[in-house]
Amino acid sequence: MAKKLGFLVNIERCIGCHACEISCKSFYQLEPNMRRRRVQELPEDVVGTPVRAFVSTACNHCDDPACKKACPVGAYTKREDGIVVHNQDLCIGCQMCGKACPYSVPMFNPVKKKMDKCSMCYDRLDVGQLPICVEKCPLEAIQIVDYNEVQPANAVSEIPTFADTSITHPTTHFILHKPGKQSRRF
Amino acid sequence: MLTENFSRRTFLKGSASLSALLGLGVATSQAPKGLIPKAQAKSNGKVEQFYNACPRNCYDTCSIVTTVEDGRITFITGNEKNTYTKGRLCVKGNTYPRVVYSPDRIKYPMRQKGRGSGNWERISWDEAYTIIAKKILAIKKEYGSTLPICLNKYSGNFNILNYATEGMLSSIGYTTRAQGTPCDPAGSDAQGFDMGAPYNNDPEQFLDADYIILWGANPAWTSAHSMYFIEQAKERGTKLVVIDPLITQTASKADEYIQVKASTDGALALGMIRYILDHQLYDKNWVSQNSIGFNEFFSYVKKNITVEWAAEKTGVPKPVIERIAREYATAKPANIWIGFGMQRHVNGGAMVRAIDALAAITGNIGKKGGGVNYIGEETWGFNYSTMGFGAPEGSGGEADRYVNMNNFGAQVLDANDPPIKMMWIACRNPMAQDPEPTVVKKAFDQMDLIVTADLYMNKTVEYSDIVLPVTTPFESVGVNVSYWHYWMNVNEQAIKPLYETKSDLEIAMGLSKKLNQLKPGSCTFPVTGDPLDWVEKEMNDDIKALFNVKSWDDLRKNGGTAKANESITVAWKDLKFRTPSGKYEFYSKTAAEYGHHPLPIFTEEYKAPKEYPIRCMSPHWKFGIHSQFQHQDWLMAIQAHPFLEIHPDLAKKKSIRDQDMVKIINETGYMTLPAKITKMVPADTVVMYEGWWKGVNYTENFTVKALQEDMGEHLKGQRGIAFHDNFVNIEKA
Repeated sequence: MAKKLGFLVNIERCIGCHACEISCKSFYQLEPNMRRRRVQELPEDVVGTPVRAFVSTACNHCDDPACKKACPVGAYTKREDGIVVHNQDLCIGCQMCGKACPYSVPMFNPVKKKMDKCSMCYDRLDVGQLPICVEKCPLEAIQIVDYNEVQPANAVSEIPTFADTSITHPTTHFILHKPGKQSRRF
Repeated sequence: MLTENFSRRTFLKGSASLSALLGLGVATSQAPKGLIPKAQAKSNGKVEQFYNACPRNCYDTCSIVTTVEDGRITFITGNEKNTYTKGRLCVKGNTYPRVVYSPDRIKYPMRQKGRGSGNWERISWDEAYTIIAKKILAIKKEYGSTLPICLNKYSGNFNILNYATEGMLSSIGYTTRAQGTPCDPAGSDAQGFDMGAPYNNDPEQFLDADYIILWGANPAWTSAHSMYFIEQAKERGTKLVVIDPLITQTASKADEYIQVKASTDGALALGMIRYILDHQLYDKNWVSQNSIGFNEFFSYVKKNITVEWAAEKTGVPKPVIERIAREYATAKPANIWIGFGMQRHVNGGAMVRAIDALAAITGNIGKKGGGVNYIGEETWGFNYSTMGFGAPEGSGGEADRYVNMNNFGAQVLDANDPPIKMMWIACRNPMAQDPEPTVVKKAFDQMDLIVTADLYMNKTVEYSDIVLPVTTPFESVGVNVSYWHYWMNVNEQAIKPLYETKSDLEIAMGLSKKLNQLKPGSCTFPVTGDPLDWVEKEMNDDIKALFNVKSWDDLRKNGGTAKANESITVAWKDLKFRTPSGKYEFYSKTAAEYGHHPLPIFTEEYKAPKEYPIRCMSPHWKFGIHSQFQHQDWLMAIQAHPFLEIHPDLAKKKSIRDQDMVKIINETGYMTLPAKITKMVPADTVVMYEGWWKGVNYTENFTVKALQEDMGEHLKGQRGIAFHDNFVNIEKA
């Protein structure tokens, strides 16, 4: 059976440090404003007790990618293992994909005048290496999961701030933050 | 250095294992072009890797692997051979390629016409050395000594070879020195009184702890690699308790978070101690065999401390204090990590002594996975050979003169015999980092010449006469150890220095050469030398034995990183304390000699003045270490400006909405910045994180007074600053 690769983001582990995002920027030598992975702050009452909670997302390598549908030149392909690949050589920089994506993932690179997005480091995966963000997260909060093989018990596909998943069926899943006990000042 | 010199063609055919060695993705023939910048072959395709060491003032002091293609750095990441770094860097470390190739690097020596004018002109190194050397010689002639020359250097780069700056100043004669540390002084003195020295367990031992209390420490932001071990321990069932006035990122991950009123942590520890003593939960054998003064301390607690009092004082409910006390006393081993921020109060040292006492009575000191962990310096036994040349013959004065680094401006202005006329600043940014920046500026105004060696045009450089451009770690040689973990990391030169940058060691040799040209014998610092020889000279038999390495070069060839012998990684394992009695001293005569109570008692916190009722804390920020990193565009793209965290209740009272501009003011200064409304801070406190944001013309220290901590003179020469006893008022701007 074909694979269905997706990110599994452990919000319980994530400390919102952005090392995933910056290691990706460094490895791919992206322009300062280009962000293939983004860390966003969640509402602080997301788990009931107030906490600093973050979620790290990149391309969601959707089952039904809107970027691919919107692209007028066929720059997008979805591999058999589920990875959505954008070919910059074909890209004409029309930005239709960025507008179509419910998660605003594809970004316009004003220097190259092309769109840019996460490739799940498929070239690294193909030689048995992990994507950079997965390998470099100091807390090991990001994993790649073959969702056709495993359905992690506590993983969910929807979190607050994440757009309606029924449109493109993103493969990214999340492990939510477990609230601890708090004794705040009386 | 792992040198793999082969053609790009061979490289593309390379095996997966080779690519793993190099940390690079291999471009397969199917790979669409344009996705893998590294595969876009340049010239002859020479790929090399080097070991580097992150030299910043940070617990984690990482071992780094730097990939260089055709002489240019293409990736910087953690060294997998270091079990603490684990092949990963924090967010700041991941920006290093940008640190090196930043468009903001200072490229050449420059002279400014009019301090703060921005009217800089490029000069040659020879001109810079000549101006500086002539001034040094003129001062020596006019005042009969070099004491009017003041060095302010500290923690911007902890590479052992950077002590060449101190060595260079010593080599011209006796000078004035900014002494002390803004970092840990009160807490280090406290541990010095209790145990003879601050000495922490290996942080990898969080995995061996049954119970962890992070007491005013926020490793999620300040020590991400420690946070990994803590999270691993948590997953294995270790309970994580965080005690902090703020709901920090680390507190957000705790099994239990306890919000303590700032500067009352000592009362909390003493309340727990009272409960533990009352319920016979203390380790009677440990205290009878390994301590002195326990009975006096016990009497003090019985007479003066109740759990009810502690609850009232700290804001922590009595049942919580009792439960935490019981849990902590019965867990074996239980680990406490005291953060530096916790002691940045007028009673900080006394509070650390109280927490130490809690660990001691429960027998948690000297245990693997336990301890009362604060800071340590067991691995710092280098030769410091750059510092050993001494004053030249005929130097006026008898010894260096010290001013407190923590009240630098005022003490420089006070030094009159002779006055201070020239400053050398390196690895430091006092205009941004010191309290009362307006006083620092006044001190600068008194100078005939201010020389600053730095990477970027920061606040201090902007107010200097001459700037000397320095190298990043990747452009020079060195060796680093940590004040937290137990690794030694080699720093190789990965690339040629960019532009006209030089290391502090090269600057020392260059200035000495010029001084000796102008006046032979005026500087004892060597005028030439290979940095590789210098770094090798740092290694002595003891340190080689401790790390089981033959030489710096041997370590360079064998992984670039080595861990100290495990005999030293459990602090006080032999229970031989470095106090006068050789025991743990609940009763410290040394403390009394320094004017403190001999026992770990509670001393009162600083009270808010009526007109400034709101505490403003300035803890460390995740995108910076002091004034480093946050100003880089990679991080500015994520967070473009400072902000003030305000509790919704306080915000409501002041009619402030999220993102409103807020004026924060007290008798020292004021600034205006956007509000972030959040429950992460209590209603009587606002928080402004420490850092230097590019294009922002103020820092968190604008309202900070040079208010002293209670301790610091014993081990650090000077008391520190109570940064978190800063009281302000706020209003909607």
